[in-house]
Amino acid sequence: MQTDRHQSICHMIDKSLAGEISVQEEQSLRLHLSACAACQQYLNASNRVIAGLGGFAFETDPGLPDKVFAALKIRAAQLETQRLSHRQLAWSYVAALILTLAGSFVAMQLSDRFANTFSITHQQVQLGLIAIWIVPSVCFCLLLPTLPLVSKRWMHAKGISL
Amino acid sequence: MTLAVTESDTERIARGLRHRDVALLHALVQQYQYRLVRYFIFLLGSRDPVDDLVQETWLRVLERGHSYDGESRFEPWLFAIARNLAIDHTRKRRMISLDSNDADEHEPAPLTPVSCEASPFEQAARIEDAQHLAQSLQRLQPVVREALALRFQEELSLQEISHVVGASVSTVSSRIYRGLAALRQQMDGGEHAN
Repeated sequence: MQTDRHQSICHMIDKSLAGEISVQEEQSLRLHLSACAACQQYLNASNRVIAGLGGFAFETDPGLPDKVFAALKIRAAQLETQRLSHRQLAWSYVAALILTLAGSFVAMQLSDRFANTFSITHQQVQLGLIAIWIVPSVCFCLLLPTLPLVSKRWMHAKGISL
Repeated sequence: MTLAVTESDTERIARGLRHRDVALLHALVQQYQYRLVRYFIFLLGSRDPVDDLVQETWLRVLERGHSYDGESRFEPWLFAIARNLAIDHTRKRRMISLDSNDADEHEPAPLTPVSCEASPFEQAARIEDAQHLAQSLQRLQPVVREALALRFQEELSLQEISHVVGASVSTVSSRIYRGLAALRQQMDGGEHAN
């Protein structure tokens, strides 16, 4: 019975050290410890272990922060370059999309006027606009997102790394 | 430059990381250098790969800084990154070992310390109790050693440790109890309060 009580208190000590004890348990623990030498000894042994863990002093390379900082500066510059190229890509995509929409608009709205001016059929104007304007800009729109992948593969093939 | 980690500082760190503020990172590198080295040694039980892993950790912090929200403390987030890198490192070592033709070469299980000479703990023991602990620490499971380091050296709460190691709070506390029991036994020669 007494052993069970001690085991329960020892568990409470472990919980207290791990930082998961309630205020009530803490009070009960303090009360018990003030009257029980065996459990106090257990607590002291645990405290010695924790103090021992703090007794380790590891050597660190004094040049390590500078080395890390140099690597960070290089990587930050690379990331900034990547960010800018992504932004350029996004703007190119927007421009291609606007061209596509504008081409479609022109094809729909102004094909009659072109047909009359150049004495050609309405269909011929539309086909011409589709061939020289809309199809290329749609292809450009579709291919733009693949550019980073292509450029990464090209850089990898050339042995260049970001 | 020292950054005391109060709530406003965590927000400042989060903002700096979002903007990839290299000056802030420089200050953080200096502030956390020793703690990262110590954590890696406790986790790996070896000193060799630590400097490279520290550098990798900060590069990862730079790249993924936007994912730190500044609402919780910076340390658990930093140690979680460090831990993932340490696991990647041990996996790579295992793969290299499996790829090698040397059949006699056996790599240890992930996160298992490798040491033939004095362990980093033995080298680092400065006081008598620490010297006693050094040998038994090397024999502990790395996850147990890690839990002890995060609780008693880095002073993280159980919830924070649970976040770092990706295990439940009860698993973490159980590792701490096991570690304490093993080390206590070593220190007092097996005597028990009972």
